[in-house]
Amino acid sequence: MALTRALLGAANLSRSVKITSKSFPAFPRHFHLSNCALAERLYTDKHEWVEVTGKIGIVGISHYAQEALGDVVYAQLPDVNTVLKQKDECGALESVKAASEIYSPISGKVVEKNGDVEEKPSLINTDCYAKGWLFKVEIENNGEIKELMTEDQYKEFLKTAESH
Amino acid sequence: MALIQRSCVRVNALISRITKNSYSTASTKQDNIKKSVFISQSKDIYTNLALEDWLYKNYDFTNNHVLMLWQNDPCVVIGRHQNPWLEANVNNLPLISEQGVQLARRNSGGGTVYHDNGNLNLTFFTPREQYNRKYNLEIISRSLFREYNLRVDISPREDLVIREYKVSGTAAKLGRTAAYHHCTLLVNVNKVDLSLALQKPEVDIKTTATKSVKSKIINLCEENPRVEMKNLMKAVGWEYMRTDPLKLIDGGKELANNQNGFQLINPTDDWFPGLNEIRNELVSWNWQYGKTPKFNIIKSFKIPEYLHEGYDVNEDLKVTMEVENGKISDVVLYIPPGLSTSGFSGNANVITSLIGHSFSDEALSGLEMMIGGLVSEKDRFVSECLKQVMISV
Repeated sequence: MALTRALLGAANLSRSVKITSKSFPAFPRHFHLSNCALAERLYTDKHEWVEVTGKIGIVGISHYAQEALGDVVYAQLPDVNTVLKQKDECGALESVKAASEIYSPISGKVVEKNGDVEEKPSLINTDCYAKGWLFKVEIENNGEIKELMTEDQYKEFLKTAESH
Repeated sequence: MALIQRSCVRVNALISRITKNSYSTASTKQDNIKKSVFISQSKDIYTNLALEDWLYKNYDFTNNHVLMLWQNDPCVVIGRHQNPWLEANVNNLPLISEQGVQLARRNSGGGTVYHDNGNLNLTFFTPREQYNRKYNLEIISRSLFREYNLRVDISPREDLVIREYKVSGTAAKLGRTAAYHHCTLLVNVNKVDLSLALQKPEVDIKTTATKSVKSKIINLCEENPRVEMKNLMKAVGWEYMRTDPLKLIDGGKELANNQNGFQLINPTDDWFPGLNEIRNELVSWNWQYGKTPKFNIIKSFKIPEYLHEGYDVNEDLKVTMEVENGKISDVVLYIPPGLSTSGFSGNANVITSLIGHSFSDEALSGLEMMIGGLVSEKDRFVSECLKQVMISV
């Protein structure tokens, strides 16, 4: 048996890009998980969350948002090195025939996207605060974080939003 | 007011943009919401999709809900996260129907649909908070009953159906402030062209892209021959305007007369600044094909006996092409045991020449040029297989 692979030229290039996109040794996945309890999760009024550790913010959507969407069947996430401004449209989640835009809760450069979620979008439904994270951003402006809601404020916000 | 608005959509949109902030702080009361029915004068799919996107991005729907009615010349419209090679008869589209069939990728989710002049498209624009597909479908269903005595139900998948036959396909896009739900309505679509255009290749494609659900369809005119396009547009438009904007309550003629009415829209860049730019993007290869979610296409080939060279060959040659952003990113050949030792590997230059080229037109023409120069029969066979992978979809 032999596998002949075209490894030259552009193939190499694309492979090396793939490697860089997954090789941020400073932030292996277990790092994020183990810090879940420590880092505070902050929320936007559009139901995105961001968890800040040092200069890096991990972004996802809230339990409320995933429930409202229903079964997510496709996740289009921003590519690594994309520079985002707060509230920029940066991807989309598709569920039951609807494409919902993803907006960045903070400004900064995308340093990693969650390949597992791209492969298995249902992770957003089953585990939106851990395995279902979407992308990581190198935060540009710490001031923006201060304007986001804390967990308690967000819960309060959901209550008032629902009572309307 | 209605008269002025009829010719001032652009101005209206600009004013809406300027006053957006002051509007959104005011609470939405149903009395404040007026409804408009826009009828696009274009039959070009790209122009209409651009108009839809323009309205979604620029219009303030807080106090003005909009129903846009539009029709297209023959085209296949795939969902935002779909694979055109998997969903449409891509290679033969120009040969179907008298004028050929265009291919377009829309911004909303969902599956692939076919449009022609026998099809009506309806886009319901609202603020995101008021996005409600059931409400919209119910309005269509009510109008068909009122006007034609047709019973059309809403299926659990939120499609409009007559018995088990679909008469409409639905998709939606939700943004930060605005949202739209659009759907097709089959009036007297050419079903032969439809099935030819949506004919799918029998190939093994591995992808996370959204797949279409194939359904049996029926034209409204098959149920009631009185259904005619212009009249139908009028019927749906009136039903929309006579229905309360937030609840499914019939307000009769009185409510209908209180709305902004029907407005003919001429989608040009003069009226909608930036429209051409959106259209150019929709027409581009990068959007139509380049946005295809990553996929692998796999195909097996029997190896002809004259190439066995005395080896016992029980397996097929298997080609896997990986396509990312519409371009070939990797090619893997599986060569059966035995044959590989005989130097059966495919020509490295030929294989590498495919990498980085767009699937399949660009890569295919490059390959055609190289095949002619190949001396070895094995290399020619492998190259022919590579070609088959690309023309099979």
